[in-house]
Amino acid sequence: MARPILTCGLGLLAALAAPGLQARSAQLQATRVDTPAGSVEQLRIKLDWQDKAQSGVLDLQAARVDLPALGGRLRAVRWRCPLRRMPAGGWSCAGDLRAAGIAPLQLAIRLDEAAVHADLTQGAARVRLARSAAQPDVFTVELARVPLAWMQGLLAQAWPQARFTGGRLGGQLRLQAQARALQVDGALQLAAVGLQNGDSSIAGEGLGARLQLHYRSAAEVSRVRVDASLQGGEFLADKTYVALPQTPVGLQLEAVRQGQGGWRLPRIVWDDGPALRASAQLGLDAAGNLDSLSLQARSDDLTPVKPRYLSGWMGVVGLGGVDLHGGLSVQAQVQGGQLQTVTADLRRIDVRDPDGRFVFDRLQGNLRYSAGAPVASALDWQGGQLYGLRFGPAQLSLSSAEGELRAPGLVAVPLMGGRLDLRELVIRPPRGGAGMDIRFGLRLRDVDFGQVSQALDLPPFQGRLSGDIPRAHYAQDRIDFEGGLQLGLFDGQVTFSSLALERPFGTAPSLSADIALQGLDLLRLTEVLGFGSISGRLDGRIDGLRLVDWTPVAFDAWLVSAEVPGVRRRISQRAVQDIGSVGGASFVQTLQGKLIGIFRDFGYRRIGIGCRLENQICAMSGLHSEGNAFTIVEGQGLPRLDVVGHNRAVDWPTLVERLMAAGQGDVAPVIH
Amino acid sequence: MKQWMGVPIAGALLLSACVTINVYFPAAEAKEAAKEFVEKVIKDADKVDVKEMPPAGGGGMALLERRIRTDLSGFDPWVLVGIGSAQAQSAPDITIKTPAIQAIQARMEARFNSILRAGFDSGALGFTEDGYVSVRDPSKVELKDRVALNSAVADDNRDRKAVYREVAVANGHPEWEDQIRAVFARQWIASARPGWWYQAGGSWKQK
Repeated sequence: MARPILTCGLGLLAALAAPGLQARSAQLQATRVDTPAGSVEQLRIKLDWQDKAQSGVLDLQAARVDLPALGGRLRAVRWRCPLRRMPAGGWSCAGDLRAAGIAPLQLAIRLDEAAVHADLTQGAARVRLARSAAQPDVFTVELARVPLAWMQGLLAQAWPQARFTGGRLGGQLRLQAQARALQVDGALQLAAVGLQNGDSSIAGEGLGARLQLHYRSAAEVSRVRVDASLQGGEFLADKTYVALPQTPVGLQLEAVRQGQGGWRLPRIVWDDGPALRASAQLGLDAAGNLDSLSLQARSDDLTPVKPRYLSGWMGVVGLGGVDLHGGLSVQAQVQGGQLQTVTADLRRIDVRDPDGRFVFDRLQGNLRYSAGAPVASALDWQGGQLYGLRFGPAQLSLSSAEGELRAPGLVAVPLMGGRLDLRELVIRPPRGGAGMDIRFGLRLRDVDFGQVSQALDLPPFQGRLSGDIPRAHYAQDRIDFEGGLQLGLFDGQVTFSSLALERPFGTAPSLSADIALQGLDLLRLTEVLGFGSISGRLDGRIDGLRLVDWTPVAFDAWLVSAEVPGVRRRISQRAVQDIGSVGGASFVQTLQGKLIGIFRDFGYRRIGIGCRLENQICAMSGLHSEGNAFTIVEGQGLPRLDVVGHNRAVDWPTLVERLMAAGQGDVAPVIH
Repeated sequence: MKQWMGVPIAGALLLSACVTINVYFPAAEAKEAAKEFVEKVIKDADKVDVKEMPPAGGGGMALLERRIRTDLSGFDPWVLVGIGSAQAQSAPDITIKTPAIQAIQARMEARFNSILRAGFDSGALGFTEDGYVSVRDPSKVELKDRVALNSAVADDNRDRKAVYREVAVANGHPEWEDQIRAVFARQWIASARPGWWYQAGGSWKQK
């Protein structure tokens, strides 16, 4: 910035310095002065020198100083200083430099035949500029505690929307300014750097670095080479958040720009030790969008990678708490702004969701994705969990082409004492605005429902779960299952159909299904539920079941005893009381009420109970109804006992409470 | 002549088959329910709100518990030709009282008080036209808090999506999801406090 001032000042001083000059006042005016480094408009230099005085007063004013190569621009510049002749020859002048919109600076200039020195200071900040007469285009710059805001213009050259929000700079630079070309080399130390782009989508704070800089800027080509060691600070670019560790991270960067085209970065090297070593080549188009990228990254220890590099993305997709351990190498290619290939090598990766949604143990192998020609890969894992359901080791052979991942054939996964077969898995990763799309077939073989019940905290049901779901489709956060599952339970069959799962790993996962029950042995069912004992068989259906966050919010259920010849139909006194307490029922007896206490069990003809749950109200029904009353148990033989419910609309939470109480045997006998 | 033969039959069919089931989206009731939901989430716990309780009583959720009948005020063209149609009312209850929705609401309320409210007060956040929250000016937030804010916004938007869906499903009309979301979108903006930002016609406006 001092350069045009110097250039003009030199001319004036040269005139003044002529031997024998007795001038008392000299004035120089120029409408415009152009130099390779910049231009000055409406320059006025005035020198007053009293007779026999030791010093004169130099007064320099300029309406505007433009330094395009440095990106600097000053208005209403004024520098006044006492001009002295130095004993060893040459001149010096030191005084306040003022310009519109900036705090006053102190500018001191010394010049002799060999060199020009300029010192610009403001508080602790100092810029020392030197130029030798032998190399008039070359400046050496020493910087100490210089606010980065002073470099704003330089930053704007490389990145027009960005601005520094803080930070200090120290170091030494060599600048060479020629016609429309600038060359900068040197070593810099940056501390507490803050920067931000126009819409704040990219921001950095507290960044520290020591770097070697080589910068060449010319009309046809610009080049930057940076060799840096980063120390601490944080950086956010859109959703990518990088929290730099206190240990140094190496960064080497080369960038080239042809004319006004986009920057190309033929070399980016990132070295964060075992946590992350990466190298990349990157090309941006003229608008600054990603055009091509070739990335190689390797992490031998993923544990610190998440907090340092992945927390931004994982938080946004709802996996903020997920822990990652193990090693990973990734190679990726982007061409024309489109992801072409990804190759990931997984080394003993453990994935753990603290919310218990999923766990993967020892993921190993490789995963290759291709948007074009086919590639093959294979993954395996030691085991894991999905919502508490443990699955065993499995191998997945994958092929990828045209932007799809496929696992042809059958993938067998041990699941809770049985087996889950995945068939014809096709994964289409999110691309061009379309979300993730997964299609697969599913077969369950002999899954131990006892283990499932335990894992899901259900009553201890025993049975084997099997089924075939020829097609399942995941899209837009929803899985639809075609086909159904059959569960062999208590000698009968439970069939699940119309299964769908919304937001499987998101907010309030929601499961819907239709369930049909056929021929369940009531004796074993009631034993498991701790619900007295009822012998006989049970049929029924639960239509339109909807569980939100694994809690029922709607269904239309009808459970009824089945008439199977040769099967005894008895209901124990305890079961009568439990049913009564649940249904809010009273007993209608053909014999005296007190008799109920005498008999251990009763014969029944039919049992039927329905509940249509909606808006937290269960609308109950029975075998037949009269007004608000409905018959749940129709007795047979002597003593004949009917159980009649009297309140059709039952608050669901109350009903659940009663069911739980009945299951635990906390029901006092109520006999009317 | 022959083609006119069918007219009396068709007429008879018309007269006897005029039992139509019309289910209109209960916009007014949905708005009321949305208002209750939204106000509870964004109500400022520090300020004492003296507010008239709805007659159903029972605190903030009372309105949500109330069963709201549909408004069947649609125009019936048959009236013009002198045929009054018998309309069987399907009366959907706009209810938001399911444990899942209440759990999500409680979570949204906690999140609003702990992090989002400050974002709205500072102007960092705004309500979008489609019922979600967006970071409109990240520079209002210190970098260290921005990651947490981004992920809170993403979490909140997932919760919102689930609420709109579950309200529609809980009321037996999954196809109402978009309408429910539109009603909520208007309500978030209507309930926004002075100084908060919202989106209108694609641009940001300050209330």
